[in-house]
Amino acid sequence: MSLTTEHARPSYDPVSLSPLSFWAKSPAEREEDYAVLRRERPVSWHPPAEGSMMPPQEGGGFWAVTRHADIAAVSKDPETFCSGEGIQMEDVPLDILEAVSSFLATDAPRHTKLRKLVSSAFTPKRVKKIEDQIKDQARRLVDHLVETGDCDFVEHVSRRLPQWTIFEMVGVEDQETREIATHAADGMVSWADEDVRAGREPAELLTESLMQLINVALDLAEARRAEPRDDLMTNLVQAEVDGESLTDEEIAAFFCLLSIAGNDTTRNTISSTMRQLTLNPDQRAYLVEDYDARIGTAIDEFVRWATPVMTFRRTATRDTELQGQRIREGDWVVLFYASGNADTEVFDEPGRFDLSRTPNPHIGFGGGGPHYCMGNQLAKAQLRAIFHELLTRAPDIEADEPVYLAGNFMQAIKSMPCRLNLG
Amino acid sequence: MACIKVDYDKCTGLGICESLAPEFFEVSDDGNLTLLEEEAGPDALDDVREAVAGCPTEALSLKE
Ligand code: HEM
Ligand code: SF4
Repeated sequence: MSLTTEHARPSYDPVSLSPLSFWAKSPAEREEDYAVLRRERPVSWHPPAEGSMMPPQEGGGFWAVTRHADIAAVSKDPETFCSGEGIQMEDVPLDILEAVSSFLATDAPRHTKLRKLVSSAFTPKRVKKIEDQIKDQARRLVDHLVETGDCDFVEHVSRRLPQWTIFEMVGVEDQETREIATHAADGMVSWADEDVRAGREPAELLTESLMQLINVALDLAEARRAEPRDDLMTNLVQAEVDGESLTDEEIAAFFCLLSIAGNDTTRNTISSTMRQLTLNPDQRAYLVEDYDARIGTAIDEFVRWATPVMTFRRTATRDTELQGQRIREGDWVVLFYASGNADTEVFDEPGRFDLSRTPNPHIGFGGGGPHYCMGNQLAKAQLRAIFHELLTRAPDIEADEPVYLAGNFMQAIKSMPCRLNLG
Repeated sequence: MACIKVDYDKCTGLGICESLAPEFFEVSDDGNLTLLEEEAGPDALDDVREAVAGCPTEALSLKE
């Protein structure tokens, strides 16, 4: 061992973000730990995440980036901090990573070309076109909710609108297949949760979910090759990159990425917001007083508060330095979005749910740079539509204590009872 | 007058700029950004500044 050429690592930080027990805490408890790191050791070294499916590398670990400004700087410097070596904070088998991540886990120039194949469906004009349909769908959902009465909010509301929206765009038509695909997409991000796993090994749940998603994707691709329609799957089967069509694997990976990114994120933002509106009646009253004028600003606070994506990883492409820490080529650098969104350097009283917060430069959709959330405007259109319907038709609706999913990636609410209080 | 510049290598065509200043920016159906006006007068400057600041990829700049 030569410590002269390879400088020694710092010791592992006493505030550990690696164990499953850290991720089993409530968001507020995790924030206490983040606050210490942000204040005292903004870039810190940690052992490999516990519970990974792969054996941890010896002496391995990751750098945790907890301040808003540093998360933004890393996100905007893809040449130094790349995505092509993986984006999760634990080692995921490479074939699984490739099968599900599509352009999320690639770098320029390939990233640019792949992303472009679908990004044109997410522009302001295209989102506006589908916005009326989203509103109709939100209305139907709330009709159904009012008929149902008190129930699980996640199952009856927050799960349904994102599912409808993303599969309508991609082209999955029947409800049964939409359910299968949503369930499988959930499985991809739930392997750390014992409830969801129900006795299976993490890898078993992942593989099973992945096979289901791939099957749905390939059936749909075949159908669109035979009979093109006006949907994203048709774009994909007709697309060419550098003169070549996409392979079945690539098409399936697009489908997996869209199914995962389009469902869980928006779902959890809707659930989290319903809970916050229950806990902060003054903020609810403020919003309802002039919904159309205030919802735009409020939505950024919904997303800041929910931060459904808690972490993504980058890999250093060269030796560099961050907050005085020497990062080596190949090192893992994990961005803690939830921490950045509570950074007092940027947000006044971050612990307040403040629907009039302006400016609100949250990093819930990412810290900027080439991977910035492609669905941000689509998500906003859904949030606007669903809370309009809910707050008009069930103005006194309340949500009780949520049940959180275990894991280090999605801040996900599995279930949450709601009471309509329709009087 | 302020002059708007786009770095097309950085732009990912999501049109956050378009939602903030539609008279200046338009992402067409092929996903490419078109600059509708290159110069922003004093009336429009606030909107354009917001669009420049709102671009997540730092693809926009303003020469005043
Ligand atoms: C409130 C809801 C949402 C949140 C908080 C969210 C959050 C994020 C975050 C944090 C990233 C990573 C950014 C980065 O690495 O810098 C991302 C990327 C992405 N999101 Fe979202 N997302 C949401 C909704 C959606 C929706 C509805 C879609 C629709 C398909 C979507 C599609 C994507 C895609 C495709 C990427 C990968 C972009 C790339 O790698 O170039 N997201 N999102
Ligand atoms: S906001 Fe930035 S990245 Fe998006 S279209 Fe406008 S210039 Fe391009």
